[in-house]
Amino acid sequence: MEHRKMNGGKVFISVLCVAAVCSAVPVSDLLDRASQRSDTLHALSTLLTHELDSHFPPLGRVIMPRPSMCHTSSLQTPNDKEQALQVSESDLLSLARSLLQAWIDPLTVLSNSANNLPHPAQNSISNKIQELQEHSKSLGDGLDILSGKMGAAAQGISFLPYRGGNDIGHDKISKLTNFHFLLSCFRRDSHKIDSFLKVLRCRAAKMC
Amino acid sequence: MQSLFWMMRGLELALLLLLCAALQSNSMSPPGKPVLLSCRSPEKETFTCWWEPGSDGGLPTTHRLYYERERLKGTHECPDYQSAGKNSCFFDKNHTSIWVDYYLTVVASNALGNATSDLLKLDVMEIVKPDPPENVALQVEDREDSPLLHVSWEHPHNTDIKSGWVTIKYALRVKQGNSNKWKEYTSGTQTHFRLYSVSPGVEYTVQVRCMLDHGFWSEWSNTSSMGIPNYLQTERPFWVLMPTLFVILCTVVMFILVLKRKNLKQYVLPPVPRPKISGVDFQLLKSAPTEDTINALNQNFPCMVAWKDQMEDYLIVTENDNRFQPDFFSSQKRKNSLLFPSGLYLHSEIQESEPRLNDQENVGKRSLSYVPAQEHQNPSLNFVFTEAPDQTHSKHDASVKPFPNTGYVDIQRCGGNTQEVDEEQLQYSRVKEVDSALILEKENITLSRSGYTDIQRQEENTSEGYSRVKEVGGDSVVILQQKKNLSPDSAYQEERDYYMDYKPRSPHVTGFNRTGLCTEMNDSGYVDNVLNHF
Repeated sequence: MEHRKMNGGKVFISVLCVAAVCSAVPVSDLLDRASQRSDTLHALSTLLTHELDSHFPPLGRVIMPRPSMCHTSSLQTPNDKEQALQVSESDLLSLARSLLQAWIDPLTVLSNSANNLPHPAQNSISNKIQELQEHSKSLGDGLDILSGKMGAAAQGISFLPYRGGNDIGHDKISKLTNFHFLLSCFRRDSHKIDSFLKVLRCRAAKMC
Repeated sequence: MQSLFWMMRGLELALLLLLCAALQSNSMSPPGKPVLLSCRSPEKETFTCWWEPGSDGGLPTTHRLYYERERLKGTHECPDYQSAGKNSCFFDKNHTSIWVDYYLTVVASNALGNATSDLLKLDVMEIVKPDPPENVALQVEDREDSPLLHVSWEHPHNTDIKSGWVTIKYALRVKQGNSNKWKEYTSGTQTHFRLYSVSPGVEYTVQVRCMLDHGFWSEWSNTSSMGIPNYLQTERPFWVLMPTLFVILCTVVMFILVLKRKNLKQYVLPPVPRPKISGVDFQLLKSAPTEDTINALNQNFPCMVAWKDQMEDYLIVTENDNRFQPDFFSSQKRKNSLLFPSGLYLHSEIQESEPRLNDQENVGKRSLSYVPAQEHQNPSLNFVFTEAPDQTHSKHDASVKPFPNTGYVDIQRCGGNTQEVDEEQLQYSRVKEVDSALILEKENITLSRSGYTDIQRQEENTSEGYSRVKEVGGDSVVILQQKKNLSPDSAYQEERDYYMDYKPRSPHVTGFNRTGLCTEMNDSGYVDNVLNHF
């Protein structure tokens, strides 16, 4: 009980501090920081994909129809520039936050799978996955703070559950295939988040 | 009838064979399988795909691209086969969607059949490769002491940076002159770059490329080159000016040194002191003496008096003119190298012996040195009062006139040191009688240095003159040889005139004519003649 109280107290204080600090930071700066984070996230995921593909070129884009849809594909997001520029800021932020939220669990699955991945670059991949998790978490926190500043509409998050389970396969091929598929989904979503935040950043700064 | 039938059949067969042969020679076949090469989106808004056709099978073959897309029902054909060139398909903005998968195939078809390429799956996000940056410009900037190369460019114009739809990143590479080694730099999102380590006189070649959103790098832009000018700017004039100024300064200094070389020579190598009378310029006398020079000489006489005050007069007692031998003098000189008084008058002339005197003078001048009253020169020297070591009579015994007056002769005692020169008190012995012998009274009158003159004036008609001491007899007798009675000023003058008769004079010998005394002198000298009318 006391332990929980202490934890609660800590959280409360840290949130207060964050709120106090954040109130002093303008939205454009917050957006700038957030877009830097998302840029790192996307860069990491791209690297991971290349690393994975380096040993299995056939698993690239030529063959390999998707086994299924990404678990986040149900979310309606803009698919070209015109559409993206027409979306409101709070909606864009909400979309970014939803996507990010949706990947908390799958990243854990990926991280667990990476430990046993039958791949020559398994260690590096495993490392990068963990980095992905950290960056994703901090970005999520930052976006939560941002949403507090951007109005009520930004607070809403779409719930996108991951139903793939913890197991990505039994044999080497299916493991690699599923791992590759999950990672490509994450790469797409990280690119979406990055693009949305950068559009928001330029819009908030009035010029880019 | 039957033969006709068989002929017809044969013809058909022949025709058929011909047809078959014809067909075989053309090798018409269904088209080969085309290959989808790649697709590329330059700005994340459109994309283009290229394929390579297979063999056409000898027949006109058409290629069609068909695609299916995520979230889009049905199979669709390429909207634009023309814009991107041959064997390409261009997807414009309306037909391009991002974050969705495209499944593309190309079908080649001719009269004989079709051929379908392999399926290509792509997401526009994965095929982003921009055009190279545009308008790469180079500029040399002067910064303080070193130049720098300023590279600037523009983003490819089809990319939309303003809205933030794409985030662009640049990189450039530089090489010097003709080398093949490139140096790469990243520029971030800035459209300019400063190259600081540039050397003058080298030509630099620069290329720039860009990337969108962690996609693929563009191709390198066209090369831009610029040479850094050799440094003629602010620094150069300075480094040219300094040596020039230095050279000019040296020239001026040399010029001054040359002009003042005599002074310089005197300063660096001071001349050996020689006998000289103050106010008498031997150079002047050597040349034709004019009235002016004589007057000038006359005018300088008072200086002599004052100058005499500072030094002591010496009584030089010698006996023989024979002694005026070079070796004698030189030996004497060697023996008594410090014996020259600072105010020694070289009295080396005897009336009767003009040539000899010349010799004597020549000799004398060699061995005698006259040091004008200059303090920094040789200290005043004392003459050793010789007690007439060898008294031989000179050949030229001039008549000795009687001493008209008594006067004083300054007698310097033997062994006197230089200290005595500075004495203010000179010892004088009164001259008692002058006939052919200068008889001195044993009377010591201490006088100040300047008193010498005063005493002279006290005497009646006393005028200064110089007499050569013929011989000394004991302590109180000095035999003088005198030529004539000379007044102080006139004495000088007459003696000077007298002196003038003799030419040439040694420039180093200054002195007054002896008044007739042919006395020997080891060091030439004279007696300051108080008794002027000898």
